[in-house]
Amino acid sequence: MPTMTLIQAINTALDEEMSRDERVMLLGEDVGKRGGVFLATEGLQQKYGPDRVIDSPLSEAAIVGAAVGLAAHGMRPVAEIQFADYVFPGIDQLFSQAAKLRYRSGGQFTAPMVVRMPTGGGVKGGHHHSQSPEAHFAHTAGLKVVVVSTPYDAKGLLKAAIRNDDPVVFMEPKRLYRAIKEEVPSDDYLIPIGKAAVRREGRDISLVSYGGPMVETLRAAEEMAAAGVEPEVIDLRTVMPWDKETVLNSVAKTGRLLMISEAPRTASLASEVAATVSEELFDQLLAPPLRVTGFDTPYPLAQDKLYMPTVTRILNAAKRLLDY
Amino acid sequence: MVQEKIRFQPFSSEPIRLIDEQGHWNAPFEHGLPPEQLQRFYRDMLAARLLDEKLVILIRTGKTSFIAPHAGHEAAQVGIAHALQRGHDWLFPYYRDMGLVLAMGVPLVEIFGQTLGNAADPAKGRQMPSHPGSKSLNIFTVCSAIASHVPPAAGAAISMKLRRTQQVAVCTFGDGATSEGDWHAGVNFAAVQGAPAVFVCENNRYAISVNISKQTASENIAVKAQAYGIPGYYVDGLDVLASYFVMQEAIERARLGHGASLVELVVNRFGAHSSADDDSRYRSREELAAERQHDPLPRYQRFLEKQGLWDAQWANELRLEISKELEAALQAAQEAGEPDPLQMFDDVYAARPWHLEEQRRLVMDELQS
Repeated sequence: MPTMTLIQAINTALDEEMSRDERVMLLGEDVGKRGGVFLATEGLQQKYGPDRVIDSPLSEAAIVGAAVGLAAHGMRPVAEIQFADYVFPGIDQLFSQAAKLRYRSGGQFTAPMVVRMPTGGGVKGGHHHSQSPEAHFAHTAGLKVVVVSTPYDAKGLLKAAIRNDDPVVFMEPKRLYRAIKEEVPSDDYLIPIGKAAVRREGRDISLVSYGGPMVETLRAAEEMAAAGVEPEVIDLRTVMPWDKETVLNSVAKTGRLLMISEAPRTASLASEVAATVSEELFDQLLAPPLRVTGFDTPYPLAQDKLYMPTVTRILNAAKRLLDY
Repeated sequence: MVQEKIRFQPFSSEPIRLIDEQGHWNAPFEHGLPPEQLQRFYRDMLAARLLDEKLVILIRTGKTSFIAPHAGHEAAQVGIAHALQRGHDWLFPYYRDMGLVLAMGVPLVEIFGQTLGNAADPAKGRQMPSHPGSKSLNIFTVCSAIASHVPPAAGAAISMKLRRTQQVAVCTFGDGATSEGDWHAGVNFAAVQGAPAVFVCENNRYAISVNISKQTASENIAVKAQAYGIPGYYVDGLDVLASYFVMQEAIERARLGHGASLVELVVNRFGAHSSADDDSRYRSREELAAERQHDPLPRYQRFLEKQGLWDAQWANELRLEISKELEAALQAAQEAGEPDPLQMFDDVYAARPWHLEEQRRLVMDELQS
């Protein structure tokens, strides 16, 4: 079985889907000749030609908007936004067109499309190469939102997203692109959208995270285990719709929820999960749900690592929960 | 393959006009259209005008919540509709296109269903009135967000080129739309891809209250095409045959693989922007009265009269016939009743996720209690 980085798994998933279904096509800035600034689409224009791998003008509105029309007309476009921070000129297309097309037409027209984007911090990218805007997407009815954290998941989830009949925002933590290598089967497997993964079983505390901070969360879990605590670790993988069942089952067992995300704290997915757990499991909780998140500041350059949830911050919050 | 006939030059300094105010055919070519088709244009324009009048009545009697009057746009809209291959080409309309979608063949019952937001609306009463759409006729459901349909039209045209479907994507909008970033993004992408798209501005010179003189420093809308490397046609949109023939040329040009173009149809807006607007606050009644002297219907009537294709009796019968159709369709639409309230939770996604199931149950319980 080949071992792959996350970026290689993305490239493989795109390649396999394009060869399986000729409706699948790519568009975005630099995705063709250059193979994308992170090389996610490397080699694909050579293989499938410039009509199916389109070097688009430098316009996120054009990229996302054209994807809507391509999808409505029967293609399966995968649009690349160079950095999640640059999706905002395409937001009217994503929110007003893609998200609502099925609804506003009464189901007559649909936009089965994927919008891929590198997300999150940790690469010294400053304000505009580091943000985690998933809450904006999750707050917009009609979009599905996936945030991957492993090469294996990246391949299975991207293939599932391409075959999904709804618009999917597919977020790839850029600091993980080449950080992890793992075995990725060469067969055609899918990971269902909306299904979390239990990364580690335990009975004392539920650590729930997704995307980039899964690394720090698993590291913190190891340290806790070494100290005799048994944490359960859940990777949400999809944040819209998020897997409530898996989270509630875990917290019902442990009585303690710690949400970990690098997105800003206020009005975040971390808050949403914490609120739902409070509503549904209030009488089974041994402590109030806590959140370790990014801060409500623009993303700073100098404090790049400090902004994201650190292992120390996760351990401190876990201790508060366990000592409550 | 080359284009058979090139009749019109882009970037003319005066609007392309084939029928003058007195109704004379004033073009260097024969129109070559059979009498039935010439009369059909008149019928569709009259139907569009009578629909507009009916919609005004519906808003005044409180039966609907909103309208965007299209009176003054009829010649342009009927010209566009007849130049398309209906059901084959795609139309990406905007909210002032009720006359256009009617001429495209959207059934009146659906139009009134959409206007009433009830069960006769194929979109299940989800949107404000004046937001039609039809999958079977390839009419992309209208979205309120100005110019947001322009990049999707470009995308559909790219798909048509990629798959060699011999289709064309026609996208209409008002003059205000041309100031939006997404308008530029869409026109530019279609142009650089050589995609079969025709962008059509129904220029009535008002974006709600803002006059074209505050909208753009360009001498007209058509010249903007120059910046994208595509032809821009400046057309008298009160002339149904000018609108039709220029649209036909732009569409065939696109169909034959010569790429996108921009067509500006200069029209009048006889009503306010919408039923929520009072245009006397920004447009003098004298100006409006002067515009009303340039009505597309009487001009075309004079043309038909000269051909012996119009007389008062025929026109009155036509008016009566259309009025009956409107009345019957309105009646049928009204009888359709309210849509199922639980449809609120359908069509958000292909299937309802757990959170929408929960929210749906909440409403269901409330309705049953």
